Amino acid sequence: MAVDIEAQNQIQDVKTNGTPLEPREKVANDRPKTPRPKRPNFNEIHAKPIPLDVYPLPTFIPHNPISIVRIALSLLSHSLFPPKPHAVVHRAYFSAETQAIHVTDAASIRALWEQGFWGKGSLSRSEPQWLIGEKKKRGIEESKTSAEVTQNRREERKQFKLERARAQREAIEQQLRQEGKLDADGSIEDMVDDGQVSESPRGTIYTPDAGDVVTVSGDAIVSEIDKSLTESAPSWRRVDSAPAEELEIKDQEHLQLTPEEAFYLTYILGALAIISISGITDEGPSNEFYPTWYLVRLYAAYASSPISETHVAQLTTTYQLSKDNSSSRASIRDVPSIEPDNQFLLRYVVYHHFRSLGWVVRPGIKFAVDYLLYLRGPAFHHAEFAIMIIPSYSHRYWNEAPGSESGIDKRKQELGKKDWWWLHRVNRVQTAVFKTLVLVYVEVPPPWDAKGGLEVDIGSVLKSYTVREVVVRRWSPNRNRD
Amino acid sequence: MADEDEELSHLRASDAGEIDLTEETQDFRFLDKLTAGHDTSSLSLPKRGEKDFESHATNRQLDQLEASRQAMHSVLSWQRSHTQKNHVLAMYEPQSNMAYVDKVKSQHFQTIGTNKAGREWLLPEEALFLIERGTLDCRWPVKREEGDEANYKIEAGAPMSLQAAYAAFVGFEGGVGGKLTLEMYNVYAGLKRSGYVVYRTGTWEDDRGELVSLEPQTQEEVKPQPGLFTRFFSEIWRRLSEPTHTIKPEQLAFGPLIRPGLYRNYNDIFRLLQLIPSHDRTSPPSFTLPPSSDSPFRLHFDVYRTTAKFRKSARGTPDFRICVINARETTLPTGAQINDLMAQVPEDRPKEGEQLYKKLKHGCRNVILAVVDCGIPSYLRLADVPFSDERIYERSTKSTRGKGGGRGRGGGRGRGRGRGRGRG
Repeated sequence: MAVDIEAQNQIQDVKTNGTPLEPREKVANDRPKTPRPKRPNFNEIHAKPIPLDVYPLPTFIPHNPISIVRIALSLLSHSLFPPKPHAVVHRAYFSAETQAIHVTDAASIRALWEQGFWGKGSLSRSEPQWLIGEKKKRGIEESKTSAEVTQNRREERKQFKLERARAQREAIEQQLRQEGKLDADGSIEDMVDDGQVSESPRGTIYTPDAGDVVTVSGDAIVSEIDKSLTESAPSWRRVDSAPAEELEIKDQEHLQLTPEEAFYLTYILGALAIISISGITDEGPSNEFYPTWYLVRLYAAYASSPISETHVAQLTTTYQLSKDNSSSRASIRDVPSIEPDNQFLLRYVVYHHFRSLGWVVRPGIKFAVDYLLYLRGPAFHHAEFAIMIIPSYSHRYWNEAPGSESGIDKRKQELGKKDWWWLHRVNRVQTAVFKTLVLVYVEVPPPWDAKGGLEVDIGSVLKSYTVREVVVRRWSPNRNRD
Repeated sequence: MADEDEELSHLRASDAGEIDLTEETQDFRFLDKLTAGHDTSSLSLPKRGEKDFESHATNRQLDQLEASRQAMHSVLSWQRSHTQKNHVLAMYEPQSNMAYVDKVKSQHFQTIGTNKAGREWLLPEEALFLIERGTLDCRWPVKREEGDEANYKIEAGAPMSLQAAYAAFVGFEGGVGGKLTLEMYNVYAGLKRSGYVVYRTGTWEDDRGELVSLEPQTQEEVKPQPGLFTRFFSEIWRRLSEPTHTIKPEQLAFGPLIRPGLYRNYNDIFRLLQLIPSHDRTSPPSFTLPPSSDSPFRLHFDVYRTTAKFRKSARGTPDFRICVINARETTLPTGAQINDLMAQVPEDRPKEGEQLYKKLKHGCRNVILAVVDCGIPSYLRLADVPFSDERIYERSTKSTRGKGGGRGRGGGRGRGRGRGRGRG
């Protein structure tokens, strides 16, 4: 059924684009409306909030005795033949060059995106869509990607602005005619040519959006509108006239996860395994996966700036040694210890905090913040909260130990760079994009990795951090009077 | 899908609430109304006019421009004067750096000053504000010779100039850092001019504000215990339907936290994931830092909206609490400073049943920071928000329950917004 409607819509689409006679009526009532294709059912696609399976019992309906039987049956079957959860453990590898975790298997990519919006397509803005877009470009497939929808919308908006510009211009010309400054069939251009107007009205129309200026002069407005009407399809959508061959396109795109996302998937959900580099052979990846303690050290080593090559090298060799001979702990002391306020840990703590409350957390660099919080996911709602992480050193250790020893002086200096101008900058960006800024203070515990030893008790380490959320909003005396 | 780099301003145009009058150049034609009638009782604030961005040589535009100019000139040329009737005399008192008024005449004294022994005493900012406004005529005390015990009238003193008033009143009080700084006075005067009633929080005598303890929680209603029979079966049902999951220490240490197993719903899983403790906001607040007179983060002003029933003797709970910050001398507060600041304000929780976003933005405690850079204040509302009280995972399952094919209300809403406009 859904497929039928989609097909119909596309036929209609072709008609409106192909024959210029038919849409005339539509232009008359307002502006041409292109029928929107039916959208996929996001509730079904993104039914699972995390990549794990659950087995709910059938609902109990009091007036339907069969429902009790069904509950009993499923209870019985679940206890006799327990279903196998965690059937899927996705595989990925850590790429030191990009400092991201790459997932290359197509099924894993889909699953991770659909079940909790993890990661980002390496060639897409967020959802991995390169293959669909590529097929579309070559005319193999007709479905629409969301990136394309966006492009269409932009096109529509541009056209709207042009039409508004024309209307404004006509109003001015009308006024000029009334005042007798313009002939009945003249235009502003004539006045400029005659030198009647010194300050030439260039037809520059400032839209309310600052900096967005549509500069079209004279008749060019009309021609521009006509042009955009005829080629309402964006350029990249134009299908070549030659019938496309049934090409097999190899998907060039992979899913890239941030270290925080990957660590959450590995350590918390057990749904992702990071293949060790030595495990990748010519025959393909082996089943050798990194243990979580090594992942913490690895991600932390790459999160410190500047990245210390020697630290990373020491870490990898120690890992190799410990693997080869698990009893020997000779070179353990060479492993650099993790600072308690390592960027990866701070980011992970905050990521974990909000993910575990049920928010979908995605990186917020495009909004000048650390994270964005989505309700259910970007397919359902816009993000409402923008997270900025502020490390906080209230623990006694940081104040009692001499500044040079604990390194608190350097840290305070770093915090001092965050002045009120900085806060206002960040906050202004958030209000412009309709988000609310949340400062998340992370209380940093005293160093916990000084004892030596490779393994990290991740759970107790994480529990030693606390978070405190502070929402920042502008307050205006003029708007709060009543 | 989330569309980060989309232009958004077109959405904004319709939102009239977002327009801040103070940040626009006024259209003087509308301001003209203020002076034309001289009838101050029926005045309303002027609205904005339409804006032309470019000259387009029509007479109409030129006429409008001329009218605006005229209006501006007439506004500026309006003569302001004081009546003899409202002339208030005050005497400066150097010991306390305050001023007192014997005969109260102005409306201002309904929201300004404290009555002590028949005299109306004015705090430095109050006196300075009234002098600057032109309402108050403050006099220096008469210089007395040794042994001169004569009683002088206030009129006998020399009038205090505005310059002298600024020099005398700002920063000369006994106590913390001379107490009133120029920044504080700027904020005070700005809020007064905006029509608020402003008082000092506490006395400013101590090194920091007072700790506000939690108000006693209302007793929770004791639910009637269900009968033994029902309890027995509900327990059996609970055990059957919800397999209990625990996290073993080695799981916690090395993961995965969620062991493969049978889970009935996602809430069970999410409940296991609560690892990171967030700041405890239910227990009484406490200070982290030692008391210090140079801590900039303390409450300075209690701000009230103007209401008819306001009495300065019984002010009630303030609508806003302001902390004045010098933008150039301080940076973003540290965690400890935020904690100590929030400990000075009482709890102010959102209403029950408020929308999720509204609830979260309101928070459980809030403070307004007035960040002043060389006389220009910027107000920021900081709210302490317990995000962990809102379990989003429980909410999302609620909305998907009983939806059959998954095409319920939630879906409709998602469709409406997700693609229509981009804002990431």
